[in-house]
Amino acid sequence: MAVDPEKEISSLWKALQGSQGATRRTFYQMREAAIEFAGPDADPFDIGVKAWEIIGKDTGKSYLPRMNLLKGEDGLMMNVARAYQGLAATNGAVVKIEKGEGPNEIFIKWERCPWPTSAKEFGASMKEDLLGCDKYLEAFLDEVNEFLGTNLKIETQKAIPSGDGVCLRRLYKSEDK
Amino acid sequence: MGKLLFEWDYSSYPGAQKYPHLFKPIQLGNLTIPNRIKYAATEDNLNGRDGFVTDAGVGYLRERAKGVVGGLCVMQGVYMDEKRQGQGYVGQAAAWDDKFIPGLKRLADGIHEQKAIAGCQLMHCGRVGGIETEYCQGPSPVPQRLRIFRPVEVMTKADIKQCLKEHIEATERLLKAGFDYVEISGIVGYLLSNFVSSYANRRTDEYGGDIRGRMRFVVECIQEVKKLCGDVPVGIRLCAEELLDDVGGNTPEESMITYEMAEEAGADVMSVTAGWQESIYPVISRDIPMGNWLHLAERAKQHLKIPVSMAYRLFTPDLPNKAIGEGKLDIWEMCRPMIADPLMPKKVLEGTEDEIRPCVACNVCLARLFRDAPMTCYINPVCAHEWDPKYEIKAAEMEKNIMIVGAGPAGMECAWVAAERGHEVHVYDKRDELGGSIIEASKAPYGDDELYGHITFTKAKAEKAGVEFHLGTEVTPELIEEEMPDTVVLATGPKYVKGTAPGFGRENVVSVLDVLNGKAQVGDNVVVWGNLKPGIGVALFLAKQGKKVTIVGKEKKLGKDINPSFLWRYVGYLRQNKVTAYNDCDIEEITDDGVIVMTYDGYRIPVKADTVISSEREANTILKDVVQENSIELFVIGDALVPRNLSSAVHDGYRIGIRI
Repeated sequence: MAVDPEKEISSLWKALQGSQGATRRTFYQMREAAIEFAGPDADPFDIGVKAWEIIGKDTGKSYLPRMNLLKGEDGLMMNVARAYQGLAATNGAVVKIEKGEGPNEIFIKWERCPWPTSAKEFGASMKEDLLGCDKYLEAFLDEVNEFLGTNLKIETQKAIPSGDGVCLRRLYKSEDK
Repeated sequence: MGKLLFEWDYSSYPGAQKYPHLFKPIQLGNLTIPNRIKYAATEDNLNGRDGFVTDAGVGYLRERAKGVVGGLCVMQGVYMDEKRQGQGYVGQAAAWDDKFIPGLKRLADGIHEQKAIAGCQLMHCGRVGGIETEYCQGPSPVPQRLRIFRPVEVMTKADIKQCLKEHIEATERLLKAGFDYVEISGIVGYLLSNFVSSYANRRTDEYGGDIRGRMRFVVECIQEVKKLCGDVPVGIRLCAEELLDDVGGNTPEESMITYEMAEEAGADVMSVTAGWQESIYPVISRDIPMGNWLHLAERAKQHLKIPVSMAYRLFTPDLPNKAIGEGKLDIWEMCRPMIADPLMPKKVLEGTEDEIRPCVACNVCLARLFRDAPMTCYINPVCAHEWDPKYEIKAAEMEKNIMIVGAGPAGMECAWVAAERGHEVHVYDKRDELGGSIIEASKAPYGDDELYGHITFTKAKAEKAGVEFHLGTEVTPELIEEEMPDTVVLATGPKYVKGTAPGFGRENVVSVLDVLNGKAQVGDNVVVWGNLKPGIGVALFLAKQGKKVTIVGKEKKLGKDINPSFLWRYVGYLRQNKVTAYNDCDIEEITDDGVIVMTYDGYRIPVKADTVISSEREANTILKDVVQENSIELFVIGDALVPRNLSSAVHDGYRIGIRI
């Protein structure tokens, strides 16, 4: 019985997309539940952003076994950038990594991201979508910094939810303590 | 010459001639140890969950004390605080109150009964502690790399002072209990090692900063404990290399500074170790060559005047004997070799080395501890049951004529035990050599040759007990009817099976045994059917030869028959050798080009292959009917009963051996 590769791959691809959609929907459904539980005095914006912070921290924790300083802090920065890239890909985003001009910076570009669309579907603001994502990435990085005693930072320079067409973030080594 | 607690004269023993350096005395502080052997403190989870010593714990340690033949036998590290912040294991012994003294005394007395030196250990588990609390303690809030450990609560200076006080009070209790040697544990991620390490200690007060600041707490502990101990020697265990380069741990140079500072603080002996539980490098698994870490002891010797001891893959007496002779080591420590065979050094002394049950460095003992289970040993069925008369080898009430079919690990284990009990035992095997499928299993790479050690051990025991071997003899129904034994033990090993999918009848489908024996032709692209140990072993065997190997197995998880403390090694080597594994999958068809893999949810993946190796097994009860028809007592053991692993075979063999 011969295998029809096109059939196998297309089925798998559809299943992957379905599961990515389910992940996003589940996040917003859980957000709805939290808003309902929190009552009318709570701000849905705060709940959404807090959720992303918790997810970022826990995701960072799960990545600690893969983070190391064997290739120095530059290597670690690339480690982190690739982790962001991989995580984004599992959610259906397309992310590119480019080294910056100096040794202490890397640019991470989300050329495509499905999260703003999901936010709109569930009535979350673009501001919440943007700050939620920022919080998620920062909380991830905080966990790594705390673990390795490093001082890496990430800043957002462009954002799809702000109408920039892409999300562009700079990952860098900060001299500030 | 220091104080000598027990007189020992080794001069008439063959082991003392063969390994002269192991059986000469050494002085620790003012105490003379008659030999160079130490059973190193080992957690066993055999105490009550309240920290009280149990019969099982006493039985376990007494047997190891017998083994050191006058040397040093150290009980497991105790936790010292009522809040249990320092407790790292559910069954760890406690010493935070005088109520624990009687139990601790039982351990010291048990060691003394064997004329051995009774050692105890102080062990606050630090960032791997807090097993019964929501948090653990440490110098800095460095997140845990492994989720099984608790979040770290930073110790204030008051906490540090309190902890020091607890060390002192626990020492007082241990001395009252009668111990002759006190050891402080500062290794593998426990509290003192946390303070020492630049990875875990990021304090800016006097307990942090440079290596001298980070060592302050250790120095204070040594000084205070030493002050209290007087003539009782105090030892310390510290890492010579933390193996934490990836997370910014100490350099080897810094570690040697800690050694010098410990000596200066008053330590009488240094126990050299390597690695932390959080290290990403393997340290003690069987893929690490024996003697691999001896250079660390040698380095320590260059920095210290006090004696240096070390364990870590020194499983055979020749290595420490040579190292001591060359001035690279002073005391041979052991944990796992004496878990596997508590009388190991005694057998070395008595010249019966071939009767040593060899540790296979699988680390199931550690895996059990991390899963809150009592100590067990992969290869020693009696481990942790030393107190239990049911596990003793007692003379049989009625002598029987026993036919054991199969000279693999299950059959061999059963044979020597049954013969030692007085039965007449005959072992049959259709092969011309002993070992069963361990012969093939031990051909896999990364230290698996050590698995055959069990056969060497059982052969010596069986021969001594008078077992008769009938090799090259296939047991048939006719032979059973002709011999008519009282008991038949079927230890034939498993039946290696082929799948039922189309193509399994092809010539390029070969057996795992034939491949490992070199009897089968294997191409460059190989699919191994079966994702348990036999499949993993043959996959690595072939991948090391440069072949492209893919594992396809029905089990959801790769290597579920391998204990988790060793599985990570195999997984690492599979990755390193670029072996792909499709788990929770099966072979749907074997075609001209390879195989079609079917995932559990119906996706189909074509994999190129010129050879398919079958490693799947099932129970083998081929002779069961004829035995039962003749009303002969029957036991089925090992893989013949249910295909599992070497450990199950050995444990089956022993349990039936003491029962027949």
